[in-house]
Amino acid sequence: MDLAIQRDSPLMRLVLDPVNILLMILLGILFYLVLWPFLELVLHTITWGEGDRRLSRDAVPGEYTWFHWLQVTASPLSERMLYAPLVNTLITGVISTVIALIVGGGLAWCVIRSDMPGKGWLQPVLTLPYIVPSFAIALAWETVFRSPKVGGQPGLYETVMGIPPPEWVSYGTFPISITLAMHYFPFAYLLVAGALATIDSQMEEGALLSGASRMMILRRITFPVVAPAFAAAFVLTFGKTIGQFALPFLLGAPTQFHTIATMVYANLALGLDSMAYVLAILLILMSLLAIWASNKFVGKNARRFETISGKGFRSRQVALGGWRWPIFWSVATFGFVVGILPLILLGYQSLMLIDGFFNLSNLTMHFWTGQSDPEIAMGEPGVLHNANILGAAWNTIELAFFSAVIASLIGLIIAYIVVRKEGNPLAKMLDQIAFIPFLFPSIAFGAMYLTMFAEPRGPIPALYGTFTLLILISVVNRLPYSVKTGVTAVTQIGRELEEAAEVAGASWGRRFRKIIVPLASSGVVTGMMVSFVGVMRELSLIILLITPSTRVLMTVGFNYAEEGLTQLSNALVLIVAMITIAGELILWWAGKSRLVRLREKQS
Amino acid sequence: MVGGEKQTRSITRKAVLKVKLKMASIEIENLTKRYGATTALDNVSLKIESGEFLVLLGPSGCGKTTLLRCLAGLETPDEGEIYMDGELVFSSKLNRIVPPGKRNLGMVFQSYALWPHMTVRNNVKFGLDVLNLSESDSKDRLDQVLKDLGMGDLQNRYPSELSGGQQQRVALARLLATKPPVFLMDEPLSNLDARLRMDMRVELKKFQASTGSTTVYVTHDQTEAMTMSTRVVVMRDGLIQQVSPPSQLYKRPENTFVADFIGMPRINLIKANRSNGKNRLYSNGDIDIDIGWDEAPSSIVVGARPEDLKISKEKLKGSQAYEVSSVLPNGPETIIQLTRGGTILLARIGHEIDLHEGEKVTVQFDQKALNVYDAKSGALLGPPIDTNGTN
Repeated sequence: MDLAIQRDSPLMRLVLDPVNILLMILLGILFYLVLWPFLELVLHTITWGEGDRRLSRDAVPGEYTWFHWLQVTASPLSERMLYAPLVNTLITGVISTVIALIVGGGLAWCVIRSDMPGKGWLQPVLTLPYIVPSFAIALAWETVFRSPKVGGQPGLYETVMGIPPPEWVSYGTFPISITLAMHYFPFAYLLVAGALATIDSQMEEGALLSGASRMMILRRITFPVVAPAFAAAFVLTFGKTIGQFALPFLLGAPTQFHTIATMVYANLALGLDSMAYVLAILLILMSLLAIWASNKFVGKNARRFETISGKGFRSRQVALGGWRWPIFWSVATFGFVVGILPLILLGYQSLMLIDGFFNLSNLTMHFWTGQSDPEIAMGEPGVLHNANILGAAWNTIELAFFSAVIASLIGLIIAYIVVRKEGNPLAKMLDQIAFIPFLFPSIAFGAMYLTMFAEPRGPIPALYGTFTLLILISVVNRLPYSVKTGVTAVTQIGRELEEAAEVAGASWGRRFRKIIVPLASSGVVTGMMVSFVGVMRELSLIILLITPSTRVLMTVGFNYAEEGLTQLSNALVLIVAMITIAGELILWWAGKSRLVRLREKQS
Repeated sequence: MVGGEKQTRSITRKAVLKVKLKMASIEIENLTKRYGATTALDNVSLKIESGEFLVLLGPSGCGKTTLLRCLAGLETPDEGEIYMDGELVFSSKLNRIVPPGKRNLGMVFQSYALWPHMTVRNNVKFGLDVLNLSESDSKDRLDQVLKDLGMGDLQNRYPSELSGGQQQRVALARLLATKPPVFLMDEPLSNLDARLRMDMRVELKKFQASTGSTTVYVTHDQTEAMTMSTRVVVMRDGLIQQVSPPSQLYKRPENTFVADFIGMPRINLIKANRSNGKNRLYSNGDIDIDIGWDEAPSSIVVGARPEDLKISKEKLKGSQAYEVSSVLPNGPETIIQLTRGGTILLARIGHEIDLHEGEKVTVQFDQKALNVYDAKSGALLGPPIDTNGTN
């Protein structure tokens, strides 16, 4: 008992607690990596920069000014720079969200509440468009509806129909809305399906017994109950669409159709950094507004519609009767068109020697396996031989791996602090700061890190152009998700398990390694896989930070698309799509086998 | 399932446990713990003798678990001192807090807190690993403890593959492995079904006796407290109500709360006032009770256990007539509800006595067994004297 530790004051005890030390360190780091960059971004927009001398004679580098804000909001340029893109953003956002919600909601009902056949395999097919990179869908759309008026080769539509498609089908509001909807309907589907799964069918049975028709039940009972989830899904989906960069860029830029997100990129490309940052801030504000609205709506109504009572919960499926097979075929066809056809198109096009000629003699493996040939594609060798691409592939895997592992580990530690220090205001603050990256549209987040790390600052070197910066931003961007995963995992670990080790004399480090990590591991590893796949298909987040030496598959693919080397870009996007699909399959399979194991244990 | 239970039913079936523990007493002085505005422990002082089986008993929220967790070091009290084996392990004045792992104690949790990702053997081994024992010492001790608790065959199983009773035993093995002189147990039997709980009570009692440990045991189950303890501490709202051996706790509850809390069915607490001019006779308007004692205040509460009511079908001297309003047979005994005016009393009688609802009976109080409390403070006023004795 000589080992008793005597300490000077309660304050010292608090300071010496390893969990508190970690809490303070993480708070510091997150403050620096999340809040400070936003501040930098704002400061940058209200300060004269060196480059501003060529824009205005009044420019005094380092002084404060409203010049950039006025330029963006109230100048001859504003119409083109802000208002038209804003309108475009809102219109494409609303249209695509409405479509995504109707389609996603309808499918969710079919899968969750009806007796439609083939649900088991339809579900993964229906989530495919969300799994593959968003601009794969844009590329596929281009493959079909490319209009030669903009230059380049004709698309499939023109080859088959003999006349070019109208321009509004090829570029602008219509294709962007449709492809955004195609990419995001699975997101809406998952949100609505979650809500539908919580409905107790006894509510519907009650209505059935009082003689209501099926439509009436749907309209009067089912829909009102899921309405808050619907509203939240609307706002969240909308929030996601406005941050999309690659997809509207590919289908809009050729005809000078811009959204706020593409305008950020275009301004940066022109060297108008501050303008781009003003737009990025506006984008963040829109996103904040959307999340705030969603919280407000759901927060107010959620209680009222709390349907999980725990007892007597039953979920009965609605019989479709004669509609069973027609509905199945429609859903299956739809799943094929949005989930599989785009990938087939991309694959087919990547085999065409000369883009746009859809006959068999035109097929070649050159863009996959060919050596460099100055006649084709500016001498770029096929993707499987291309040193550039192999380097990018290696970078991609490295980036995804390190980001996923680091994000999951930090997420777990933050989750641990948040769960175990419940009620501590600093822990709560940590939780909230870790969630903030969720609110930043990814292109705006990239812009923040661009301002933050372009130059050395105190002890921190200029990270721009380094691989470290890519990992840093990917980790921070994944934190909201990994903390959530971690919280779920840690909450399930009873406090007594840890106290038992504490009584046995195990230090905090030992408890964390021997008890928390092993018990949280299955959940955290799943989260790690999700992050791995997520980072891999990320483009908007890192597009502003990429330099030739740090290129990854997605950015190389995007550059090829920009340069019009369609086959190469398709081949690359296809590779990423295949990797992400494989990742999702592993996750799906792992989740399933875990369920099976659980069931075995219980029986 | 049942067969497996039987094979390993008793740990102590063959011999006493090999492990003998050091002795240690515990002293708690003026301990106070607050959570915001609520006081979980209010200036609690208690001395626990070495080798004692002390049970902390009380309704939920009374502070018993908080007290146990303060002893373990899992909670930090706001004020007071704790000594273990004469060593100061907590002092608010000296700012001295010995962490749980250094207090030389073992704990069994309500959920057992077995680590689900470790085998039985590794669960028990964890504490030895922390102590940095040599590999051979550790192995010998492990084998011994697992054998003592009849877990030798199950040592490579995972906790989820064990029955409730077996899990309980792993928790005990883990407790014993590091040879702590003090055992802390937080409702360890509350997760077991009723029959197994009964068996485990016996087992735990033997386990404690053969190890000679100082045990502090928290429960809200009075039967558990009565059957296992050497002394019971009844708590309420962070205050100790009574500290007594179990038999005395039942016979001489020191206040109306303890009287009411202990005993199933409940004690009859009858609020009564002194009848005009008659010193020993008290009445609540419906019934008259002769407490056999004439120096009590004018307003009292009489505590009469159901078995202290003598029921007779004949009219006896000094008895009053009651109506049987309910008959509740329960195996060896029968509980009778009696009514007289607005007063309802419970009586316990043998199963052989045949009574029916609506029947008229007379009741006599066993004056020797009655406890008399002050109506205002609820405190025990002292023993009523024998009616035949002199005062």
